[in-house]
Amino acid sequence: MVAVDPDEELLIRIADGDPAASRALVARKLPRILGLAQRMLGDKTEAEDVAQEAFLRVWRQAPKWRPGQARFDTWLHRVSLNLCYDRLRRRREVATDDPPEVVDDGPAPDRGLEAADTGRRVGQALAQLPDRQREAVVLCHYQELGNIEAAAVMGVTVEALESLLSRGRRSLRTALADLMER
Amino acid sequence: MTKTRFKALAEAYGAEIAGWPAEVREEAALLAAADPAFAQAVLARESKLDAALDALPRATASSTLHERIVASAPAPRRRWRLWLAPAGLGAALAGVAAAGLLLGVQLGQGSSISPEASAQAVADLDVSTVPEVG
Repeated sequence: MVAVDPDEELLIRIADGDPAASRALVARKLPRILGLAQRMLGDKTEAEDVAQEAFLRVWRQAPKWRPGQARFDTWLHRVSLNLCYDRLRRRREVATDDPPEVVDDGPAPDRGLEAADTGRRVGQALAQLPDRQREAVVLCHYQELGNIEAAAVMGVTVEALESLLSRGRRSLRTALADLMER
Repeated sequence: MTKTRFKALAEAYGAEIAGWPAEVREEAALLAAADPAFAQAVLARESKLDAALDALPRATASSTLHERIVASAPAPRRRWRLWLAPAGLGAALAGVAAAGLLLGVQLGQGSSISPEASAQAVADLDVSTVPEVG
């Protein structure tokens, strides 16, 4: 059992065909799901595709939703992450045996310390993480899920989540060391 | 809580103790109060990483995407109360009566349809195929 799910009332209304409820749910969840997908995939167009597909699944699921079994937000994160992983797998399948050289975009001494540049560096560092470490960091840092909920979304124990987070953040700290010294 | 555990938590969850697992926050705050120099050193290091991570721009949904997704939502259901609107009510009842009469004729005098079965049959009608009247 879970505590009262703040999204449940909207799901009931969506199942009943209430267009205002659908619109309200999109307004509430789209930014989160788009953010999740963009940080997992590092690609805006693909993230938009994932968000659209995730909502198609929401519309299909709403009439079948059983209150009290899981939080809707947790379910939606899991569905969206599965869609991200489908795309990540496809990318690997089409990747050549000779992967492109990773360009070192570290800032040159004379490069300006622009926020956009910092953001791009962070995006690249995230993209370099192993998928599961990136997932843990995205869920806990960016999506601000609690440890129990993030572990549930990932299907791992809280201890395993903590390990993934530690390793992910350690790699990020190394990759972004020059930014943090400023 | 040991210092080692405090450091491990900071390295996993970042500098904001409020974002750490609920069950360790109080102990962590006690340790931070007991040894502020240690806690500040650990948290300051993680705070720098948190700040760097926050430089990643937020994804923003375009109004086009928003509207496209809203448009993909299921269409509103046609409800009984719409179908049973005054003009439609007459047609509906006439249809049900005609169906009952026809069934009665076919099955002869010995047959009967219970009110429950009738109500169920009406309920089972696919209202989406009934043309709107009026």
